Amino acid sequence: MVEIKNLVKRYGDVVALDHLNLQVREGEIFGLLGPNGSGKTTAINCMLALLSFDRGDIRLFGEEMSPDNYKVKQQIGIVLQNVAVFDELTVYENIDYFCGLYIRDKARRKELVDEAIAFAGLEEYQKKRPPKLSGGLLRRLNIACGIAHKPKLIIMDEPTVAVDPQSRNKILEGIQELNRQGSTIIYTSHYMEEVEQICTRIAILDHGRSIAVGTKEELKMMIKTGETITIEAVALAGEQLAAIRDLPHVFAVDYEGQVLTVRCTKARHNLLSLLNYLQEQEIVFGRVFSELPTLNDVFLEITGKQLRD
Amino acid sequence: MTVFKGYMRVMKHNRGLILLYLAVFTGITMLFQRMAGNNPVTSYRAQSVRIAIVDEDGESLAGELKEYLGQCHQVSVMENDRARMQEDLFYRDVEYIIHIPEHFFETCIVEGRKLQVTKVPGSYTAFYVDQQISSFLNHAKVYYAAGFTQEETAAALSEAEPVKVELMDSGRTLEEMPDYGFYFQYLPYLFLSVLCYVMGNVIAAFGKGDLPKRMRASAVSARRQSLEGLLASAAMAMGLWAVAVAGAFLFYGKRLVESGGLPFYLLNSFMLVLVALSISYLVGTLVHGKNQVNTLNGVVNVLSLGMCFLCGVFVSLDVMSKGVKTVAQFLPVYWYEVVNELVVEFGSVTGEAQRTVFLGIGMQAVFAAALVCVTLVAAKWKRV
Repeated sequence: MVEIKNLVKRYGDVVALDHLNLQVREGEIFGLLGPNGSGKTTAINCMLALLSFDRGDIRLFGEEMSPDNYKVKQQIGIVLQNVAVFDELTVYENIDYFCGLYIRDKARRKELVDEAIAFAGLEEYQKKRPPKLSGGLLRRLNIACGIAHKPKLIIMDEPTVAVDPQSRNKILEGIQELNRQGSTIIYTSHYMEEVEQICTRIAILDHGRSIAVGTKEELKMMIKTGETITIEAVALAGEQLAAIRDLPHVFAVDYEGQVLTVRCTKARHNLLSLLNYLQEQEIVFGRVFSELPTLNDVFLEITGKQLRD
Repeated sequence: MTVFKGYMRVMKHNRGLILLYLAVFTGITMLFQRMAGNNPVTSYRAQSVRIAIVDEDGESLAGELKEYLGQCHQVSVMENDRARMQEDLFYRDVEYIIHIPEHFFETCIVEGRKLQVTKVPGSYTAFYVDQQISSFLNHAKVYYAAGFTQEETAAALSEAEPVKVELMDSGRTLEEMPDYGFYFQYLPYLFLSVLCYVMGNVIAAFGKGDLPKRMRASAVSARRQSLEGLLASAAMAMGLWAVAVAGAFLFYGKRLVESGGLPFYLLNSFMLVLVALSISYLVGTLVHGKNQVNTLNGVVNVLSLGMCFLCGVFVSLDVMSKGVKTVAQFLPVYWYEVVNELVVEFGSVTGEAQRTVFLGIGMQAVFAAALVCVTLVAAKWKRV
């Protein structure tokens, strides 16, 4: 449905997109994950023909995307990072206006607007103007304005920024529902939990490049870390740390602020063997956590830095 | 026509403000009309000052001076009492005291010494009397130089005819201006305020944050969006013009129709509304940011009031200095007012006046076109 090949976008000397390659299949929720400044929004703007680019090729629905390809634009819905609605219009009027940019038939539009209002849970606020809405409701209105015309492809650029957890969950559930209804979704975020929760495939971006693409399981398989064990332990000596590092499947040990972090490759009984060692050495320890690798671990291993650096 | 309707809906949001400006405009027009109607300036009269004279001379020339000043001032004789003089001046019982010394002719005419006077400091009336005394003494000195004695000088001065002032009314300023003249004179304030504020708000609303992105990514072509936007703006401007013209007919009806200048009033005001629309586009394009509404408010006030004061809307062009008029020529409203004043003065305009009228209307068209060009450049610069 979306095919990006060798996309290059420069702002003067700064390379915002560096030979970016992406392929989004029909029916996916495709996540674009990366820290701020990694090129997610630039990629979206190029896809929508809002920005020109220096090199590469973008095809949507099999057609080359250009600013006047209205046939393709007709099938796209966008939810931008900043809420883009009219303060002067009511919730209903806003959704009706943006839906009207795609649907001319009045009766059909009314139907779609009502559905969008119900979808976003804005029934009670139809006659209110945006300045009277909370941040969460505004975000929901922003989404309703982008999806009211039932597009085949929905592009969402960080739609949950500065949203309370309750609204965020409602928005994420809504995105999954849209996908179930048949829309393909491109979702950008720098919140790995969100991407992990809803996306069927994920591309990790850094410095304008796609550094890894796959399902979350595939991404996690790409890295060495199979399990991260964290233990609160008091006064560990250097030789004890060295001994832990020599335990089977352990490849990295870190001890800071009386918190021991042990990274292991994927294997059974990693936690058990570590706890046995601590008991043998009569080391006093407190809380114990064992975590499977996250997308942050994937990013950390590939780039050497945290996703939220 | 979604974009057109969107413009209209955002405009509708400003209807309270439009009504407010209409009320202010009507109020100002009626107020000035009434004020002008109550004070028609049709004659000239010399200023009369209360003068006291302390005469220690008592000779013929001193008597002639009293006589001369008495022709247009209220002259009284006073004793040489310093305390009394101060008191009378303090309470403004008199505004000017002349101390005529003993041997007035010899002292002030022959020897040329100054005549001692006491006056209210900084008073323009005192300056006026100074001028008259100076004139009297100069004449006396001329007669003395010609060999006249005191009596002959006094006699010659008494025979001098008082200068008659004839008031020349070069324009219509001293006549009573027709009431619809005021209406059309103040029209720029209405057009500039309403269009700049409302259209500025609408254009700013459409240019806010990521809205232009959302619009550009939509299935409606950029050309169609611009056309519908222009159509909505034109509809707003025409609506305002129609309301203004309807108001003129409502208030002045037959008198306006019979004035002979109706086509010029309509054409001139129509051109003005186009100018105001182009200014509003520029304002809407340039004003953005977090405090958009407050900024817009400030800019609109400075623009509308500034231009109205400079270009002869609130103060007639006749009383403006040459420097101000020179500056005002670079503003479109000046040309509107030039045309308006000519049409008010002549009614049906022909000949040289007609050429000036068309020049004024043409200048407004040039300003409107130039402003549209500047707006297009500004919009492009903003997008980059």
